[in-house]
Amino acid sequence: MTKETQRQDERPRSPLRRRLLGYAAATAVAGGLLGLAGTDRIGSAQAAEEIVFGGSIPLTGVFAFAGEGVHAGIQDWVQIVNEGGGVEGRMLRYEPEDTAYKVDASVAAFKRITSQFQPNLYYADSTAFSKTINPELERNGRMIMAGASFATELNDPDLFPLQFMAGPDYTEMFGILLQHVADTQPGARVAFVYSDTEFGRDPIEPGRERAEALGLEVVETIVTPPGSVDVSTEVLKLRRARPDYTIFHGYVQAPIPEFISQARQMGMETRFMGTFWSMDHTVVMGMGEVADGFMGVMPYRYYYDEAADAPMLERIREMRPEYQSTAYMQGFLTAMLMTEAVERTLAAGQDLTGQNLKAALNSIEDFDTGGIIGVPISLPGNSIPVGRIYQADVAAQKMVPVSDWIRLDETGG
Amino acid sequence: MRIGAAKESYAADEALFDTAVQWRWLFVFFALLVIFPFIATPYWLFMACLVAINVASATGLNILTGYTGLVSLGQAAFMGVGAYTVAWLEINLGTPVLLNLVAGGLMAGVAGMLVGVPSLRVKGLYLAIATIAASVIFHFIFANWTSVTGGVSGLTMPPGTILGVTLDEPRDLYWLIVPVTVLMVVGAANLFRTRIGRAFIAIRDRDISAEVLGIRLLRFKLLSFALSSFYAGVAGGLWAYFFRVVTPESFPLLMSIFFLAAIIVGGMGSILGAILGAAFMTMVPEVLKMVVNWLSPWLPDAVALLSPVRVMVFGALIVGFLLFEPQGLAEMWRRLRRQFHLWPFRT
Repeated sequence: MTKETQRQDERPRSPLRRRLLGYAAATAVAGGLLGLAGTDRIGSAQAAEEIVFGGSIPLTGVFAFAGEGVHAGIQDWVQIVNEGGGVEGRMLRYEPEDTAYKVDASVAAFKRITSQFQPNLYYADSTAFSKTINPELERNGRMIMAGASFATELNDPDLFPLQFMAGPDYTEMFGILLQHVADTQPGARVAFVYSDTEFGRDPIEPGRERAEALGLEVVETIVTPPGSVDVSTEVLKLRRARPDYTIFHGYVQAPIPEFISQARQMGMETRFMGTFWSMDHTVVMGMGEVADGFMGVMPYRYYYDEAADAPMLERIREMRPEYQSTAYMQGFLTAMLMTEAVERTLAAGQDLTGQNLKAALNSIEDFDTGGIIGVPISLPGNSIPVGRIYQADVAAQKMVPVSDWIRLDETGG
Repeated sequence: MRIGAAKESYAADEALFDTAVQWRWLFVFFALLVIFPFIATPYWLFMACLVAINVASATGLNILTGYTGLVSLGQAAFMGVGAYTVAWLEINLGTPVLLNLVAGGLMAGVAGMLVGVPSLRVKGLYLAIATIAASVIFHFIFANWTSVTGGVSGLTMPPGTILGVTLDEPRDLYWLIVPVTVLMVVGAANLFRTRIGRAFIAIRDRDISAEVLGIRLLRFKLLSFALSSFYAGVAGGLWAYFFRVVTPESFPLLMSIFFLAAIIVGGMGSILGAILGAAFMTMVPEVLKMVVNWLSPWLPDAVALLSPVRVMVFGALIVGFLLFEPQGLAEMWRRLRRQFHLWPFRT
């Protein structure tokens, strides 16, 4: 055999990259098939007595800052309950899945979790998901749902009978802020600055009506793209309107610092306020010096609040010595209220159906949250219209309360 | 080893499948598609429907970008036009599902033709920017034409009904979404056996030469935009029936990038490429999530710890494909087939 023939007979080695890609593709296919085959097997791992708490949680993506907090909050509450022997002897099992804050991924997570387990409790990551999954939730009939959304639209027990929110909706947050303004400075001039999103526009019209009812004058409403940076023309508009208070909504942070900074440079004395998602300690202190005096509505106490009537905060600090966000408190309280609903349903000898769980949840009256919220709460509908005004003290690096707890169910808001 | 596929006529040369074995495999594939809903869990049915919708839209984008060479980042906006049309018709007129889907496709097609007008003057990145601008305009219309689109809250629509069957679960919707997608894919595959399809390819390869050959650029570029948008519109309509809530934020720019990435990863200018790319982009994040879940027994809180890693792995996989297989998954598939054809010899 000649050298030439030998070379032709030799099988040329496949390039490494092709082999690697081949292995990667084969692994992906095998993974998919295993997943398909394994779905039901994993599902059988749910013990008969376990109560499953599913969650479409945004652990990555634009809302990850909140999702991580919510996840930790639910985890800790589940741990506390299970260490205490469970709910009526039944353990809680938390089954989260990352959604990256995308509706299709959230629905996929819901489908997967409900295929593998029979959850009675579920955490939703967004308004869009809460709306999308609502018909499925009613059809399923086995669970109640709450989540990261405080959308006013969801606060309708007729349209969303199996959902609730562990706090006031956005309109109620505006109501609390405006109540504080009316109490502090009757007849004050107010401006609303909001992002051009569903989230941003949510409380604007009802907020305007509420302001008028409280004798306040809405002198300007300014809409901006979400997260916009250049706000100089908007600040000029605000300056012409000369409001006593300016309420931001629909943002997490940007463009609030830029707005405040430019307004201060122009010598404006308006007092800036925000709603829940722009009120976390880290978010506010991250604004820097301009945050000093920034106020907003917060339905929960901050992690570092050492009030005597807040044993649950003490417990949280024992479990996690480092600061936990307000999203953590939201996840923690959501899990606490859901567990209370389960406990009441089981104590009444009823099945854990969505309808029974929601009825049990709605029976909650003057409930002590262990100090997470500073007053006893009730949940007659889909929201808890309670909150308090906090203000940033940048020197002390703390959010400090500047009002008592405001209950809209008492003030008529 | 396959030892010959002689073609004796032009018709045989043009055929989509040239051997009986291919037809048999195709039959097996369709049989699996029919069996699938009876054996799959709701999760897998949901994913199958989602993949099918993405395949339909990616196939449309492939007609425009892969075959005609016109880059578009407006696919999500065209899906939005289709979705809003379908939702509006379903809510206000209650017209039949299939009619709504066609109407959604036609509306998106008209919108696509309008957006395609600048393609006569600009190409490449410039055209991409023009389509982004069009997306912004459509987003503005979705958010502000409140009487029709429901404004920022969007439209919540009732489930569609076909022959008395209410399409409110993936198990039912599968029988609408998958056949429509199959029909669209077959249509696209056949398009490139016609004069129109070949004109698109000629424009992609060299538009001036195409014009010299008698292909009217105005007509065919706009036709390509219209067809691509029609596909997007029908996919958007299917999306609307699937999720039943249509808001301006349902179709972000990121979604257009998703489809562009899908056809690049799958293989531009290949029907199979759009299918594989859309399936890859939809399923790989889910498969990676499964891997994370399997690690849970050994790694406490694996979901929180590994989710960011999962996102990075997904990104790295895309970059890996672009670097090592620029012709996409379709080329890998072709190579795999060649291996079988020539076995026991090597290519």
